[in-house]
Amino acid sequence: MAQRRIDQRLLAGPAKRTGAGVILALVLAALALSGCGGGSDDSSNPTTTAADAAGGPGSGSSSSAPDAKAQGSGGKDSTSGSKSRGGGGSSPDGSSGPQGRGSSQGQKHASKVHVPEGAPEPGITPKQREEATVASMLLESPAATASPGGPPSLPGAYTCDGKGSPPPLRWRGVPQGTEELVLFTMNVQPIEGKLFFDWAVAGLSPDLTEIQEGRLPRGSIVGLNSFGQAGYRVCPASGAETYMFAVYALPRKLSPAAGFDPTQLRKEVLDASGNVGLLALSYARGQ
Amino acid sequence: MTRKSIGVIGLLALVALMLSTAFASSASAAPAWKFNGKALEGEETILGAAENSGLTMWGFTTSCENFLYEVKIKNEAGTGKGNIVSLPLFNCYTNSTCTVEAIEAEAFPWPSELKTISSSNYLIVKNVNVWVLYGGWFCPLWGVWTHVTGTAGGLIDNATETATFSSSSFSATGTELKSLGESVEWNGKFPTEAFQWHRGESISAS
Repeated sequence: MAQRRIDQRLLAGPAKRTGAGVILALVLAALALSGCGGGSDDSSNPTTTAADAAGGPGSGSSSSAPDAKAQGSGGKDSTSGSKSRGGGGSSPDGSSGPQGRGSSQGQKHASKVHVPEGAPEPGITPKQREEATVASMLLESPAATASPGGPPSLPGAYTCDGKGSPPPLRWRGVPQGTEELVLFTMNVQPIEGKLFFDWAVAGLSPDLTEIQEGRLPRGSIVGLNSFGQAGYRVCPASGAETYMFAVYALPRKLSPAAGFDPTQLRKEVLDASGNVGLLALSYARGQ
Repeated sequence: MTRKSIGVIGLLALVALMLSTAFASSASAAPAWKFNGKALEGEETILGAAENSGLTMWGFTTSCENFLYEVKIKNEAGTGKGNIVSLPLFNCYTNSTCTVEAIEAEAFPWPSELKTISSSNYLIVKNVNVWVLYGGWFCPLWGVWTHVTGTAGGLIDNATETATFSSSSFSATGTELKSLGESVEWNGKFPTEAFQWHRGESISAS
């Protein structure tokens, strides 16, 4: 630090003695040079990773993520971070690097990054990957209206506040080999702690790409909704609700009987795996 | 008009042209990464960690108590660039009946760059790629594996050394995350600091 102040004084002295013309020339030269690059030379850089910097491998995590435990030596407690991280422009391994020399002036401050404890969330396993229903189909409703800051809106006409018929739906991306499509409409938030079904339709042809407003194609099998009716009914008790429309593509036919229990069919659908198209629509009563 | 006065006018015009060019280039200069006010030379590793950051999609929010990110940054031709190389997520949950069975950010690196829009500096992150597997019998997305992709823009605040992702930062940067056709909102404030050569130094984008 003392050396730096001496250097600054040495530089400041001549500057005071120089004439205005020289200063102007220097300023112009600096302006000209400032437009000449600033590109980086990666070859000069160390390749130390944050995990290395935090204390090296042995994190217990299989990812390349920074090691939470190792960084913990710097402190989950952010106030202790300055001790472990006050490298003073040195490289993590203690050697002085080019960047360190170039930027070692200036004050240090304590770490602000709160490093979490424990291991990160697991990634999906091959088994989960195999069993999961992949959200890969595009499902949309031409009747939906944009709603900033949330899911698109379901017009009141398609609720008990209107004529109550199902909205038109269309989808694409049904994978080859699909034998049957099954459609569910569910409340995103549970009712009395349970998943609430507003509509359940099975037996839809894999060649189908849309359902027109209020009309189900021939061969459709309608199950009971949570109101106890075989049909569609969207009717929030009060306030706003979000409804999930989900079209599942199944690699084998389930073909339940009319008036089926949607909870039971959903279990079979999820066991059969496959692909799904999702559409979330919100509706607020009285708006 | 004499030949001499024409010459002076020509010289003045030339000077004016040079000055306007210089000012124009400085006004449109892209922000660079700086440490203690000096432009970064070479590469640096920075870490960011958000507490309680969330992805809102499908009518509910998937939150993680911590998002940790690791970015390799550098300046290229005076513009701050970077690559997000890891993003481990910790303690994730939803505000619905859904549980988070697995969540994974993948396909790294995600390239990023600094951008000035309406005098504010933003960090633009491209190729965002996150998979979420939901569980829970009463979850409408039980067993469903959803994919979030797109570009995210976060507002940089030099005073607090943070990057904040919100609907307003997405709107300002014209960026969007999507899960299939559904828009995804990402909220999170990421304190950021150097972890390699510039540990403990103040980081800024300007």
